[in-house]
Amino acid sequence: MPIITVDNLSKIYGQANASTVALTDVSLSIEKGELVSLVGPSGCGKSTLLRLIADLETPSTGAITVNAKTPHQARLARDYGFVFQAPTLYDWRTVVRNVELPLEIMGRPKHEWRERVDKMLGMVGLREFHDHYPWQLSGGMQQRASIARALSFDPTILLMDEPFGALDEFTRERMNLELLEIWDQTHKTILFVTHSIAESVFLSSRVVVMTPRPGRIASVVEVDLPYPRTFETRESSRFFELITVVRETLKEEFIRHE
Amino acid sequence: MTRSIARVEPIRPTASRTLPRWLARLLVYLVFLLAVVILWEASKAIFAIPDYKLPHLAQIGEAFFRPTPKGPTWLILLTDAAYTMLEAVTGFVVGGITGFLFAVLFVHAPVTRRGLLPFVIASQTVPIIAIAPMIVVGLGQLGAPPWVPKASIAAYLTFFPVTINVLRGLESVNRDALMLMKSYAATHPQIFFKLRLPNATPYLFTALKIAATASVIGAIIGELPVGSKHGIGVQIVIGSQYNTFNPGFLWATIVMASLMGIVFYAVVALAEKRIVKWKRET
Repeated sequence: MPIITVDNLSKIYGQANASTVALTDVSLSIEKGELVSLVGPSGCGKSTLLRLIADLETPSTGAITVNAKTPHQARLARDYGFVFQAPTLYDWRTVVRNVELPLEIMGRPKHEWRERVDKMLGMVGLREFHDHYPWQLSGGMQQRASIARALSFDPTILLMDEPFGALDEFTRERMNLELLEIWDQTHKTILFVTHSIAESVFLSSRVVVMTPRPGRIASVVEVDLPYPRTFETRESSRFFELITVVRETLKEEFIRHE
Repeated sequence: MTRSIARVEPIRPTASRTLPRWLARLLVYLVFLLAVVILWEASKAIFAIPDYKLPHLAQIGEAFFRPTPKGPTWLILLTDAAYTMLEAVTGFVVGGITGFLFAVLFVHAPVTRRGLLPFVIASQTVPIIAIAPMIVVGLGQLGAPPWVPKASIAAYLTFFPVTINVLRGLESVNRDALMLMKSYAATHPQIFFKLRLPNATPYLFTALKIAATASVIGAIIGELPVGSKHGIGVQIVIGSQYNTFNPGFLWATIVMASLMGIVFYAVVALAEKRIVKWKRET
């Protein structure tokens, strides 16, 4: 049974006479433990789709289920962790206190905090920097702390909205490997939004290709590259073939709209 | 995996390599003080300004240390300054809390903001010097102790910067930081205490630094109307009445009054450094 289902979803912003269709007729289902990417140019509604699943926005029509609940119930049940493009760490909290934040909000017992936070910081390699303030960390380290925070309360789903979009390419590639490692360790279901075709192919088992005006799903590409994926995966011919497949879909859609 | 830490080292002036930092700082102050002294005495000499308009600095110093039957002048001024300071601090605390509560109210109930904010702004356009005697007399007739009207005026000048700045601090919360709270299904009090309030702290201190000096001024203004017995404001009135005979004394009271503002400001700035220690050093 899928962990996330999206059925005939649409999202329209604004009033009837001056409205923008952000998403139209989107249907999707994601199995437990999958790592699925949503890729597409800006304006294709990929971030909107993610925020609708997270109940940070409400759909105009259509239905979503998350863990067999409505997104609203799933949010109240703290079923997912969300990672934003900006690390969104709280400046006045050290790394430890930032990672603790969800546990604090959710009223988890204090003895649990230290154990969970220590585990998460170990996983993202930030243990030595636990007492640093966000401004003392590099961009990559800030985003690692943000991922640790999203996983600290052990949600079943991880929603990531272009988390590595602001990082330089070298850091981004390293973060991709680290994310796969985290995925392998935690078996979370990950929904990953990106505008990088290479990143989407490298990370995921399925790539959902989206196109703009109006935002919709153009195709879903199965990525048959074997896990664990390594640095060498990026040099394999299959990797490039799949990138081409995704790119072709986007090109077709682009031409159709000319 | 390389782990590097980006620590920003403050750029130090070359002087501090040879001199200890505090000494370098002290030297800067002394140089500026010397410049003021030269400007002061030079303009007095060049424009032939009489003593009752601008006394010699030595006259001010002399007036400051002049012995009186009740002890040296500086000790009397210090006693009065302490009295005024107590009024100012009381007003600062009351005004600060009031201003803060106004900001919290405005941010949570927009209708109160639309209704009350214009009055809050209008309250500050009223010339305080004109209504100070009314406040002093009015509260006096109600049987309030003499320090109450002074502290009230101090509070009146204090609450405004606090309201405006805290309001901004509470509202200038990053949108995703708020979304993060929503994703945790955080309650409104949690969002307030764990996000909005810490976010507003630097803004609060900006306001408190303004309020620190304003509260001293407010307390002094409250002491100016006839009938006050204690406070540096009373000494300023005496000083201006006898200025022609004793030109140094008025300035001695002024120096004492500004020292109060400086000390109060420094205390708030120190508290800020202790509390807002997570800010990037600039």
